[in-house]
This record gives sequence, structure tokens and C-alpha cells, in this order.
Amino acid sequence: MKLKTILGWSSALCLCAIIAQAQETNQPADVEQRLKQMQETFEKRQQEMQEQFERKTAAQDAEIEALKKQLAATVTNPPPTAVTSAPPANLTGTPETVTPEKFKELDEKVNEVAAAQKKTLMSEFNPAIGFVGETIFSQESKGAPQNGTGYPGGFDVYQRSVELNASASVDPFAKGWVVINGSADASTGETSLDVEEAALQTTSLPWNLTLTAGQFFAEYGRLAYIHDHELPFVNRPMVLDQYIDGESKTYGAQASWLVPIEHYVNLTGGFGTQFGDSPDAIGSYRSMGAVNYWGRLSTYFDLTPNWQLECGASALINPDSGNVNDELAPNGITTLTETRRLVLDGDLKVSYVPLRDNQFNSLTWGTEVLYSDNQYLASNDGGATTFNEAVRAWGMYSYLTYKWSRSWSGGFLFEFLQNDEDNSARTYGYSPYLTWAISHWNQLRLQYTHTQPNSATGYQPNDGVYLQWCWIIGSHSHGWQQR
Amino acid sequence: MKTKLLFSALLALAVGAPQVHAAKVRVVTTLTDLADLTRNVGGESVEVHSLATGVEDTHGVPMKPSFVPLLNRADLVVLVGFDCEHAFLPALLEASRNPRIQPGHAGYVDCSKGITPVDVPKSTDHSEGDVHPYGNPHYLLDPVLAKSAVKTICAALAAAAPDHQADFEKNRDAYLAKLDAKIAEWQNQLAPFKGTKFVSYHEHWPYFADRFGLVYFGTIELKPGIDPTPKHIEEMVSAMKAEHVPIVVREPQFPEKVPALIARQTGATLLTLPIMPGGVPHTDTYMAEMDYIVNSFVNALKK
Repeated sequence: MKLKTILGWSSALCLCAIIAQAQETNQPADVEQRLKQMQETFEKRQQEMQEQFERKTAAQDAEIEALKKQLAATVTNPPPTAVTSAPPANLTGTPETVTPEKFKELDEKVNEVAAAQKKTLMSEFNPAIGFVGETIFSQESKGAPQNGTGYPGGFDVYQRSVELNASASVDPFAKGWVVINGSADASTGETSLDVEEAALQTTSLPWNLTLTAGQFFAEYGRLAYIHDHELPFVNRPMVLDQYIDGESKTYGAQASWLVPIEHYVNLTGGFGTQFGDSPDAIGSYRSMGAVNYWGRLSTYFDLTPNWQLECGASALINPDSGNVNDELAPNGITTLTETRRLVLDGDLKVSYVPLRDNQFNSLTWGTEVLYSDNQYLASNDGGATTFNEAVRAWGMYSYLTYKWSRSWSGGFLFEFLQNDEDNSARTYGYSPYLTWAISHWNQLRLQYTHTQPNSATGYQPNDGVYLQWCWIIGSHSHGWQQR
Repeated sequence: MKTKLLFSALLALAVGAPQVHAAKVRVVTTLTDLADLTRNVGGESVEVHSLATGVEDTHGVPMKPSFVPLLNRADLVVLVGFDCEHAFLPALLEASRNPRIQPGHAGYVDCSKGITPVDVPKSTDHSEGDVHPYGNPHYLLDPVLAKSAVKTICAALAAAAPDHQADFEKNRDAYLAKLDAKIAEWQNQLAPFKGTKFVSYHEHWPYFADRFGLVYFGTIELKPGIDPTPKHIEEMVSAMKAEHVPIVVREPQFPEKVPALIARQTGATLLTLPIMPGGVPHTDTYMAEMDYIVNSFVNALKK
């Protein structure tokens, strides 16, 4: 009762205040008067600012003239014979003795700064543009049809990508970026030019929200939204290739929310048509066509100042029932219609990043586990009686990378996956790798991969050696996702 | 009844009253020198966090997600500028979702404003290494230029909390007076060694050398961000011997092996010097750091 009374009185008071204010401002004459006053004040202020600006400009001009005269006079004078050795009375670092050399040096400095400003101004309205090139030299013991990895047998050289990146602010409220990728198909060598990303992202939404729309890499899992050249090893893990078609490329929209607490927690949700790099990629068994929905929760812990833990959980659902493929025969079922598909993902990264010398020394252990739940409407031998069938499979990768100098690092990647449409078909992968970062923009990586499929896959064991040469020209910055 | 009425009125006023800026100004600085300067100016009215702890390379502060909530709540971010923090700050600012501290906004406090940079590159081509297009960003190792940063910080704090402007200005003047006295002391200490040449691993020291009359002879790195090649080391050793360079400076972020080798081969003294407060023990403040640097030079050169 008391609370009701209090609330009642406060509401009444607030209402009164609002009404009083409204009454006051509703009088047209009053409003006109105020507007006039505001306009006068504004004009007065504008005039003052103009005068102030002119005064400053005149003062600067006078100062420049005086300095020029001083410079001319000094240059014609003989250089001083002695340098003052005692500290100056003015202890703010005023030069002790002015010599022609000093003036020349100063002049050069001013010219350098002016040149730097010109460089900035020239690029002010242009996007930051950069190219990434990636060439793979490979030697495989088995051909693509036998090993299922997408690489042709024998020795091969191919340009995996030539990537053009451009990004810039669109306006005060958004930024935009485009990634265009020219690449050759690993098996056929056929080249193609694709838009990998072309998206807009808000930069000033309230409540810690960010909205991304267009064609982009959806925030799902750990490495799915990383471009090939930024992977810690040469090839994308098999489980990502088979379960979500490699990269999380989509056409849609995504909202991301930084939870406003003292601990880092980020929530992302989105929807988009298609999911993955190319639905027809070798090793991919079920496309993610039509509309997909995904979400991700990620967090982070400082274990010690030098040890970090990042983890996340993601889910991707494709509820579409329109993708009919009656050729599939998982687990002995002969005819089926694809219905819902769910792919869950858990990821973990533990890193030793010493604060003092992390450019020369670090250790990273990353693991990602995916679980695929494929639902079908099935019938035996094309009969009229249908029933629900599910194929559940899982796969993972885990890697450990040690960096022992600014240029050198090495590691080992382990992979395991069940075929997402026949969980009795399993493949293991083992890959040691060595990286030589000649500089920040020029990197060589050597990797050996042994893949060991079981008989249910229909593939044969394969040994591959890869040499990746990756280079960057132009603008290139590591964004938040590539940290 | 009267009590109820009074309480209701107070409640209504509290709800309707504009928010008074009673809380502390939340400041995040990129480096520890800026944190120390901000604390000295802001006093009790500011809450300061530094992304770096002092031992990091100024260009290599790890991009930790735990920095994001700090930046998300910050009123001001104070940075060195001249692209010094390019490897970590832009991405962190983007992740912070805090419009107040984005470039161009009042909360983005770039202390390089008003500083004339040295070593502005003629080209930003990567053949010159990881160059800073606006010039060398390590001006805070010159205490006179640090005074400019103090003034920039003071102005930003006053704009963020106008009620405390007088306090900030008083603190600023007191700190600058102390710093002036220290600058005189440091200049006196180093005056006998004017013209002394030295090398360092990374190009941290041109402003320091200029201020105290020392000669910055070169860097052990081949180019900024590029490790030295054997040829470069060989040439550096020959040049140092020819020019009698007595000091090799190694910043603690870089491996000791090559600087120690060069010092051995040339007979120079190897000094390990911090590039910001906290870089080595007992250098928790900016003045303590500069004391350490100056005393290290003086002690090495007196030998």
C-alpha cells in the first residue's frame, strides 16, 4: 500500500513537471522569442570564432616571416665558434646554440612532416587496399579420387589464392569491406574469380551491438571465419571442410553483442542463405543451402599474465527440407529426403603469450570439436512408408604450435572425423609443420600430412608434402577475429 | 501525509534530475608511461588502467579480450600516437563497441598532437621494414616532449570532467615543476658525455639522444621489425669499432644474444634499458624510469 502511494505521488509530480514544461513551451510567442535569441547568440559566436581564427592566422604569418628573416641572417653569419656546455637557464630543452646546420636540420624535419601529412591526405578518402598471394607446391602419393582431400596426385603447383582486400569507413555509422579472391581449383586447375566478402558493419549502434550484413564469414567456431592464409597450418582441417564446407561464408546478417559486464563475453546470432565456401567441394557431403541460423558464445580468461584461455560454443541449424538427394545411402538406407541439419561446435585455445617477448616466444594449443546431427525422412527401397532417420557424427582437430624466434615456429596437427552421412567411415590425419616467417609479409610453411581413412570411406591412405608461400603487399592489418 | 509528500517529491527529483558526474573519469592508457602521467594529473578523480604492464614491446602488447570490457567502459583512451599502437589498438577499439573513444571523438586522446616527429620516412614501402608513416613514435623517452603529453592529458581530463578542471591544472603544474627539476638534473648528469655515440636494438632512442646531446649511431635490427642479418651485424661491428661507439643498448623485449655479441666484439658496454615504466625492476614511474636510464648511461660512461 505504502509503495503504491509513493509511486502514485512520484508519478503525479513527474506528470506535473512535464505538463508545466509543456505549457511553458507551448506558447508560440515565447518560442519565437527564444529562437531569435538563439540565432543571435549563434551569429555572435560565429563572428567571434571567425575573428579569432583570423587573428591566429595573422600571428602565425608574422611568426613565419620573423623566423625566415632570422634564418636568412644566421645563414649569412659565420657559425659560432663555441658550444655552450653548461645547462641552459631555460630547462625546457631550448637548443643551446643556433647554427646553420641546426636550421638545415630543422628545415629537413619540417619538410619530412609536411610530406607525411601530404601522404595521409592523399589516402584520406581511399580505402585501405592490400593483396595476399598464396602458392602451394604439393606432392601427393594418391590422386584426388583416391585420397578425398581435393589435391591431385603427384607433384603440383597451384595458386590457391590471390586475394584483394579493401576496407574503409562508409560514414560515421558504418564500415565496409570487400575481399575478392582469384583462385585455382586444386583438382582441375580451373581458375575463378569470386567475391569472398562484401559486407557492411555498423560502428556506432547503442547497447554494445554490432550488425553485419551482406556476404561475409559468419562467426561460427574458431577457424571457419579465418581466411586460408591466416590458418596456423597449410590446409583447412578436414572436419571443417566436410561438415561446413570449409569457410563460414554466407549471405545474410549477423548481430553481435558484447555483454556489458567486467568479464569478456560475446554473443553472436545470425542467419544467411548458403553456408560454407563451396557446396560442391570435394569431401563435402551435404550442402548448407537455403536459410541457415547460427549462434556463438565466446569468452576468455587470463589464467596468468602470460597464459590465456579462450573458449566458445557455436550452433548452426539448417531447418530446410527442400534439399532432396535420393542417391545417398547412409547406414544401408536407400532412399531418403534431407530434413533438418544441426552442427554443434566447441572450441578451446590455450596460449602462452609472454608479455615481455611474445614476438620471439609463444605456445598455442587449439582444439575444435564438431558434432553433426543429420535428419532424414527415409524409406526402404523407395516404398511408400517413410520414417525418420538420423546420422550423428563427430570430428575434431587439435594442434600445438611453438614459436621459438621472431621468424621460426613449428607444430603438429591431429585430425579425426566421422563421415557426416556415414559415421562408420572414419579418417585420421597427422601433420607436422614448420613455418619460416621471413618478415611480417612474407612466409614459407612446410607441412607433411598423412591421412589414414578406414575402409568404409572408400579412400586410401595418403602422404602429402606441401610448401606454402604466402605474401602480402599493401595494407594489411590483423583484425579482432585474427588475433 | 507530509512525510509521504516530501518523500515523493524527493523521489521525483531524483528520477528527473540530470545525472551528476560524481564518478571517477575512467581512463585506459596504452602504455605505462601514459598511465603514470595520467595518474599524476588526474589524482583521485581518475581511475587509470594501462593495457601494457611495462615489460612489453610498445608495438607488441598482446591483444587480450580482457582489455575489451575495460575499453568498453572507458571515458578516455590515452595513446602515444604516430601509429605506435597500430598492432593492437585499432582492433581493440573496434571490439570495444565504445563510440566515445573512437578516433575523432573527444575520448580518443592522442598525445602526439603538437609533437614534431623525427625520422619521418620518405617512403612507406615494406622494403624499409615495418615503418611508421608519421615518423618515430618513441618521443616519450624525451622528458621535454613528455611535458607536451602531460598537457594534452590534462586538457582531455578537464573536458571529460569540467568540475575538476582546477584540480587537474593544479596537479599538472605541480608535476611539470617536478619534471623540470628532474630534466635539469638529467641534463647536468649527461652534460659531460655530449657527443657520445650509442646503438640500440630497435629505434627507440632518437628523441632521447637529441635531448641529451648524445649521438644515436644506429640499430641492431636490419630495419624496423626485421631481425639483423649476419652481414648487417658484421658491418655494424666494423663501423662501431671505427667510430669508437662505447654503448650498446638492449631493450628487454629483445633477445640478448646479438646485442651481447656486438658488445663483446666492439668492447662496448651493454645496457639493458626500459622503454616504459615497469620495463625493469624499480622503474614504476616515469621519473624513476628516466632516472634509471640516465644513471645507467652515466655509470657506464664514467668507467
